[in-house]
Amino acid sequence: MKTDSPLLRVERLSKVFGSSRTLVRAVSEVDLTAHAGEVTLVMGPSGSGKTTLLSMIGGLLRPTSGRVLIEDLEITALRRRELTQVRRHLVGFVFQTFNLLEALSAVENVEIALNVAGITGSEARSRASRLLVEARLGERLHFNARDLSAGEKQRVAIARALANGPRLLLADEPTANLDSDSGHEVMELLRDLTREKGSGAVVVSHDERLREIADHLMWLEDGRIRAAERPQIGVL
Amino acid sequence: MSVGGVAFAVLMILIVVALYRGWSNVGSVYTRLPGDVWISQTGTSDPYHSTSFLVADRGNALSRIDGVQAVLPVYARHIAFRQHGNELDVFALALGAAPGIRFPSPDRAYFPPPGEVNIDRVLADQTGVRVGDRLRVLGHELVVWRIHTGGNSIFQTAYLNAADARAMFGLHGLVNFFLLSLRPGADLASVDKTAVAAVPRSEAHTSEEFAASFGNRINQGFLAAVGVLVGIGFIVGGAVIALTTYTATIERAREFGVLKAVGASGGFLYRVVVTQSLIVGCLGAALGVVASALAADLIRQQVPEFLTTLRWSDALAVFAVALVVAVFASWVPVRRINLIDPAIVFRP
Repeated sequence: MKTDSPLLRVERLSKVFGSSRTLVRAVSEVDLTAHAGEVTLVMGPSGSGKTTLLSMIGGLLRPTSGRVLIEDLEITALRRRELTQVRRHLVGFVFQTFNLLEALSAVENVEIALNVAGITGSEARSRASRLLVEARLGERLHFNARDLSAGEKQRVAIARALANGPRLLLADEPTANLDSDSGHEVMELLRDLTREKGSGAVVVSHDERLREIADHLMWLEDGRIRAAERPQIGVL
Repeated sequence: MSVGGVAFAVLMILIVVALYRGWSNVGSVYTRLPGDVWISQTGTSDPYHSTSFLVADRGNALSRIDGVQAVLPVYARHIAFRQHGNELDVFALALGAAPGIRFPSPDRAYFPPPGEVNIDRVLADQTGVRVGDRLRVLGHELVVWRIHTGGNSIFQTAYLNAADARAMFGLHGLVNFFLLSLRPGADLASVDKTAVAAVPRSEAHTSEEFAASFGNRINQGFLAAVGVLVGIGFIVGGAVIALTTYTATIERAREFGVLKAVGASGGFLYRVVVTQSLIVGCLGAALGVVASALAADLIRQQVPEFLTTLRWSDALAVFAVALVVAVFASWVPVRRINLIDPAIVFRP
């Protein structure tokens, strides 16, 4: 599925919080590219700026400087209303704490993402069900979110992230709250769905297991990219 | 939790409104009696607050008036008596029988047999008597014949036999009032005029006029205070509903952040919040109305002095107010939610 033109381009992206003595440079001059059908893993210790980087790529946080382009659309130049459209159609998020709506069932959690995009009724229900079947949750469609296991919750979250056919999947520590088996299942699901749907994925984590599914690996430290390589080639 | 908060607020408002309605209707003690027009001595406000004496034989003249079906001599006065060491006060009423007239069953409760008395529920509770027990009043021993619903914290009523009342009150050749029962279609103005002409130094009042006059005197000050309570009830209840709705929305800021992160527009969030507020408002208000009906019934059973009348029209109005407040209250947090940073979803 890889194409020559990158799906995501991050150019000299920086984020500074506070000013003068309280100034914190969370992300500094980061460059990054990701292609369709590939998983890019950004690793680094806690506080290295991984989540800040992901928030800026997803249009949730405005950078201090630099650019983010998704399929040549410069999202860092968009207005708030336009960023909402980007989050609705171009990117999908998977969170460390799943962030499911606990009062809703698995299928309703996916359905609501479709409702947000204006897809309602039986069409939304059948699309949500299909996505959950793909996420190997066909038997859990009507289970309340709070009654699912952690691994199942994360798979619902992945289905929700993919509901509106985003070009880019952004995952923040997707295996951090999962046991080894569940983490492995989620990793495989992320990789399979990314390849199947031809979307790109940027995963930030400090979970070494995720190296297995990564096509590209980057090491972030103190807000700067320290190293980047294909994981099969060697150890960072 | 939110539904419970709204229900509690609606319950609070409706109970105060029911209290207001109950006391507003206190004069119904007169409208329930089997008669339409009262003939009293001039200067009478109502039988509870005024004394009236009329010559008893004027009843014959009244019964001949066109449109009058029956003339009931009425004996009425406050009686103080002791029971089990307690000093009690009761407003005693006695209606004389009208020859040839048989009242329907509910009205016969106002005509106890000689030596018996029909007392209200509050007096029964105060005296600790039940049907068949004896009360000693003004030197006469009376057997409790029936206990009727009614009475309140301000006054209690007892219906005596007319002959007993005459003897107990020492009224010979006198009555306190005449209560006229009119034929259907009778000309009220004409009956009033003729009746007043037939009884020296008298005036005519409809039962409704006595009820209103009585109610006004009983409720002067008191009902105004209850009215203030109703106002406070609406304000506090409205605040509870508003706060409940506000808190329920703000508590779920993270969920709204998730929706924003997946691309929900401000309009979408508005619709979600308002719809949820409507659902919570509807369920809470419905629960509150049901709870109020049960509470009002329980109060009537357990504390009859606490007059409550729950009207469905009031319940409907409070239901609507609860919904309006809930929807308006949801607008305040909606503004805040619109400002939520969707990056909140990355915080653990």
